[in-house]
Amino acid sequence: MSPLYLIFGPIVLSAFTALLGEKRGGTVRTVALVLFTAMLFYSLDLLSILPETGYMDLGTYLPVEQFNFALTLQVDHLSVIMLILTSLLLILVTLSSWTMKNATAYFSLLILFAGPITGVFMSTNLLWFFIFWELTLVPMYFLVGIWGAEGRIYAAVKFFLYTHVASMLILLAFFLIHKETGSFDMTVVKESMLASPVLIWWLLFTGFAVKMPIFPFHTWLPDAHVQAPAPISVLLAGVLLKMGAYAMIRMVVLMLPEQSENFAWVILTLGLITLFYAGFMALYETHLKKMVAYSSISHMGLVTVSIATLSYSGLSAALFEMIGHALIISPLFLIAGFLHHKTGSWQMEDMGGLMQKAPYLSALFVLAGLAALGLPGTMGFIGELTILISSIKAYGFWLIIVALASMIGAGYIIWTFRRVIYGEMSETVKNSNFKMNRVEFFALIIFSVLIIFFGLFPSSLFEVINAAFVSLAAQGGL
Amino acid sequence: MFSSFTLLFMAALLSLALHRTMWLKPFAVGATLIALLLTYSGSSIGLSGFENSEAVRLFTMILEIVLVALILHEEEDMTITQTLFIGTASIALLQSHTLLTFIIAFEAVSIISFVLVSHIKTSAQAEGAVKMFIAGSIATGILLLGAALYLIGGGKLGAPIVLESTTLSTMGLFVMLLGLFYKLTIVPMHGWAADTYALVRHSHAAILTGVAKTVVAVSMFHLFAPFLAEHLTMTVPMMAVLAVVTMTMGNFLALFQKRIARILAYSSIAHAGYMLLAFAAVKSGYASTGLLYMAIAYIFMQSAVFLLLDILRKKYNIQTLDDIKGLAKQHKGLALFFTVQLFSLAGIPLLAGFLGKAVVFYAVVDAGLWYITLIALLNSALSVGYYAWIVKHLYFDALEGKKLQVGSSKVQMISQTILLAGTIFFGIFASWVFVAGNSF
Repeated sequence: MSPLYLIFGPIVLSAFTALLGEKRGGTVRTVALVLFTAMLFYSLDLLSILPETGYMDLGTYLPVEQFNFALTLQVDHLSVIMLILTSLLLILVTLSSWTMKNATAYFSLLILFAGPITGVFMSTNLLWFFIFWELTLVPMYFLVGIWGAEGRIYAAVKFFLYTHVASMLILLAFFLIHKETGSFDMTVVKESMLASPVLIWWLLFTGFAVKMPIFPFHTWLPDAHVQAPAPISVLLAGVLLKMGAYAMIRMVVLMLPEQSENFAWVILTLGLITLFYAGFMALYETHLKKMVAYSSISHMGLVTVSIATLSYSGLSAALFEMIGHALIISPLFLIAGFLHHKTGSWQMEDMGGLMQKAPYLSALFVLAGLAALGLPGTMGFIGELTILISSIKAYGFWLIIVALASMIGAGYIIWTFRRVIYGEMSETVKNSNFKMNRVEFFALIIFSVLIIFFGLFPSSLFEVINAAFVSLAAQGGL
Repeated sequence: MFSSFTLLFMAALLSLALHRTMWLKPFAVGATLIALLLTYSGSSIGLSGFENSEAVRLFTMILEIVLVALILHEEEDMTITQTLFIGTASIALLQSHTLLTFIIAFEAVSIISFVLVSHIKTSAQAEGAVKMFIAGSIATGILLLGAALYLIGGGKLGAPIVLESTTLSTMGLFVMLLGLFYKLTIVPMHGWAADTYALVRHSHAAILTGVAKTVVAVSMFHLFAPFLAEHLTMTVPMMAVLAVVTMTMGNFLALFQKRIARILAYSSIAHAGYMLLAFAAVKSGYASTGLLYMAIAYIFMQSAVFLLLDILRKKYNIQTLDDIKGLAKQHKGLALFFTVQLFSLAGIPLLAGFLGKAVVFYAVVDAGLWYITLIALLNSALSVGYYAWIVKHLYFDALEGKKLQVGSSKVQMISQTILLAGTIFFGIFASWVFVAGNSF
């Protein structure tokens, strides 16, 4: 199957499914599920036939020689891992939005999203990468703006504008790269060919930092994540932020290695600030979903610190943490959204005693929460431990402070348990009915199983992840 | 010699006889399609003073496709005839290779547009028409002043522009450009545009902003680019500053408008700024492709949005942002057409508007002016603010009380489909434009 179908197929398909009537929502949902499953199998298949190092060529399309502009599709371990994660999350998001209103439009937009996101991870032509990168914004804008909570319009427009401005910096950087090297091909572009890499580095770093997000460019995230419907928060945290981290690794660290080494302190400092700032914000929040959003930012800070090591082990740890973060933060978002849906409140003080009323749901929340604070036996522990070790190895013992962040994490998570899950049952909880749709509950179970499985058997994942950066291992780091 | 120019001219004259019959529209569409075939086969006017090139040929074809869409949409007989006349004059203008033919064809386009907007039914339309007429007269005056200076300086109107020229004739040419900037709505020569575009009938505005503006821009590049490239010390600062001022002012003013037509009018001014960037980057090899791409993208999307406004206003009397609240819930098709074209104007990828902007902006980087590109990119991001805001009204807001009547004619939907196909096609397939853009 030509990979082109996986990119443009969903875009065309979504136009057709959108035309179906409102009553055919179930059909569109099934189409989405089948498509995402096919994507998952396709990417798993890719993983099995990848060469040990370097890229596998999937073809070049739509060439414009005058502009070195062609849709070059190449994948390596890093991109295939992202593809697997994305398609897995898309399946789980579909399951979690089983009872979504306005299903035809909603699932059509999800299908539309699947096209460009595949393009982002497959394209090695910078301009096409940018095209897909930007295109992911469009379905997200509608998904947040139509299905979101009270403040959805403000959040959607802010999200769109904020990230679009960042993208403009990225586009300028790509233009400068093309002017210097005469190529848009990211496998060809190497820093040594560039005359003014400092400017390019800063433009790219800032542009991707917004998406990740790194302090002080994170302000769009709490709005967008809180106002988005819960499954879309999952998509934002699990896929969009990962897109930023992926680009940061691929286009800043790997494409501009020399400048990244010069400015590693910038990445490290901002990563640490993000880690602690967001941690303290989460501690301070009484708004349940905002707490989860800040916890999400804090974890991305951890990923940033890990990227700043620029080392084989550090990048592997970062990739592991990215996957872990996607799997751990998603059930937290889903449950927070579900609680708001049922109780009509975001405030933790309105809840309490949930364990007595909805024990299974509470158990899943506790599990995901414990994984988020890094309990051994879960993915969170492995992620934080490997990041701690590799950053200490790279920058010295003082980076033991990263462990402090873990303690802050324990603070806000356990305090949240105290306020939401345990304690006395509040009036709101008493009056609410917490019956969850079975399919949506099933999605939560899958998340939990994966969190524990990769927590107990991290090596199964690390084998694949290490292959993504094996070229660095040969050089002994960067 | 029988060319698309002659054919359209004859069709326009003949169409007068078909007014008030059902044959007018099929006849006009048929004639334009044959003209398209003739252009495709490479016909050119063939008189001295006119010269065809690959870029002009491609753009003429696009122009003829858009003319088909405009004619299909139109319900007034007189406007159909005038659309054909405008098409004829535009082909002449595009192929002009000397100042004399250029001035004549330019005036022909201007005069026909004056006649076009003179279908006055309300006082608002009168205001728009008069403003345009006055601005147009001033533009003509300045253009002729420039031509006179050029003549005195030793230039010849009947021959292509000479590159080694005297100070006076150089000055004359720059003065001429200033006159042309009125038509391109470059700040500070833009004062009339926002009013005219917003006040005259929207289908007329589609011709004025979509067709006339792009034709002027492309023909200007066709004629003046070698001269501008020769005088870079003058060209680059002048064009860059005017472009930056124009786009920034257009975008900021668009942000504060309540009426959709005015938003789009100011966005049209902003786009003139983007087009002017190609002139600032004239020394780059990508400038010509950039301008051609921008013009192609712009003619599709700008005509489409104004035609859509025409449908909305005529059928539902929709004028302000409040009026379109929740439109998507009732008219999925219209809302989708509108949204895609607006996103194209905003520069969202896989649509022609993105590649148009991208190539122009790259040309500016290539010419060594990356900071100008940064300003332009930020401007483009700013413009997303008001385009996304229109889309927000279409999709996110609830339908307010009143139910809008259903029904827009099938032919008009075909016309929109043609324009949409153009916007999407040139958003994905870029190679034609690049091949043509190299031989301007």
